[in-house]
Amino acid sequence: MIDIFVKLLKREIKLSIVNISIIISYSSFFLMSLLIFTFGIGPDIGKLNELYSPIIWLIMLFSIILISENFLMHDYRDGSLRELQYLGYSEELIIFSKTVVMFLILIIPHFFLIPVCSIFLNLNSIELVSLSINVILGSPSLILISIISNLLTIQVRQSKVLQFVIIMPFYIPLIIFTTASNPNDSSEFIDLNKFLILIGFFLIILPIALFSGKMILKEVNK
Amino acid sequence: MIFKLANPNRFIRFSDRISPYLSYLFILLILYGLFLCFFKSPPDYLQGETVRIMYIHVPCAWFSLMFYSSIAICSFFSLIFKHTLADIISRALAPLGASLTLATLITGSIWGKPTWGTWWVWDARLTSELVLLFLYIGIIILSNSFENKTKGDKYAAILSLVGIVNLPIIKWSVDWWNTLHQPASISKFSSPSIDPSMLTPLIVMTFALLFFSLQVTLIRIKSEILQRKIDIIRSTELS
Repeated sequence: MIDIFVKLLKREIKLSIVNISIIISYSSFFLMSLLIFTFGIGPDIGKLNELYSPIIWLIMLFSIILISENFLMHDYRDGSLRELQYLGYSEELIIFSKTVVMFLILIIPHFFLIPVCSIFLNLNSIELVSLSINVILGSPSLILISIISNLLTIQVRQSKVLQFVIIMPFYIPLIIFTTASNPNDSSEFIDLNKFLILIGFFLIILPIALFSGKMILKEVNK
Repeated sequence: MIFKLANPNRFIRFSDRISPYLSYLFILLILYGLFLCFFKSPPDYLQGETVRIMYIHVPCAWFSLMFYSSIAICSFFSLIFKHTLADIISRALAPLGASLTLATLITGSIWGKPTWGTWWVWDARLTSELVLLFLYIGIIILSNSFENKTKGDKYAAILSLVGIVNLPIIKWSVDWWNTLHQPASISKFSSPSIDPSMLTPLIVMTFALLFFSLQVTLIRIKSEILQRKIDIIRSTELS
């Protein structure tokens, strides 16, 4: 089981490394969106600092939905998704390996993007660390949901808009908890509860996503 | 009984038989309910006449949740037992559920203006009801996005099953969070905190809406079954 998973993981990593443009387009989209938010809200650094969490999370949400297509659509179009199933790889493993690789590939640009954002949004070191941990813990859930939305719309032609419509409601609880600020919270302490909630969310979403993903993959290849 | 009705032809015969009775019951109950709402039910000591919106708002809200649960149950039957009629029922219920959710939001908004002083607040109950509307819209769009209806139904079934996590949030949001929306006045586990003079019209209106919804659902199911039959005939003629 683990051998098969490692094999799948290696395959996905190799494919993703070849498509280095994914990381570049993800980073560019992230920075461009930040720029647009700044223009929309205004250059007041205090206001931007107050709103940094929702800004970053909304940008992440949209960029993950948009980029997730690259991890699944190509495999579906060239038939390798179907081939993997015929070769006996379980659907859960296929989805899980894609999630892990997507997480690894998308987390790399964050080591550069989040410090840049912290300069633009005037974050202190505690806020920077807190945001980084938040991103690391919250993005797997975002990725899992986006993969499910992608699978649901993989056979639809105008899939992008539909993907946003059907999946947005599932992002709402996650966005509420990732962007919520505790009234007793200060920028001098890291909010541990938030991290625990994000881990909890991931543990809830993971089995639901794997189970529904398995059903969708079976339906896709019928 | 349920498995007997799972046959589409038998279901059409059954629906033809009960449809007139549902219509009669609906007309009787809605007339009686409206009479009670406008002439027998007293105005609220605090909210005045605006409380009468409750007789539309509350049944719509109950059925918006009930229809989603029904869709989820049908989706379960569709995915596990692969039954076409379950898909057809889900397809028939989704627009009705979406309309009732929209009606809940609109009537709630109209009720909210004089009582809370605002059309909308980002309160847990209101927001979760809005999320429910988006879920309904997602299911409707997804099921209609495929040329092959069966495929669309299956995807919509998966989506509706995943979306069921929203139902407990809507139901208990008023208990879990401090919301502007009041907690439930009618509960299974305790006696209702609403006066009988208001409870009676509310129950009558709820049954009126139930019979109306059943009637509309039966019509939609019947037309969907007939549409599928036409599609099959057309496709066999073409091939």
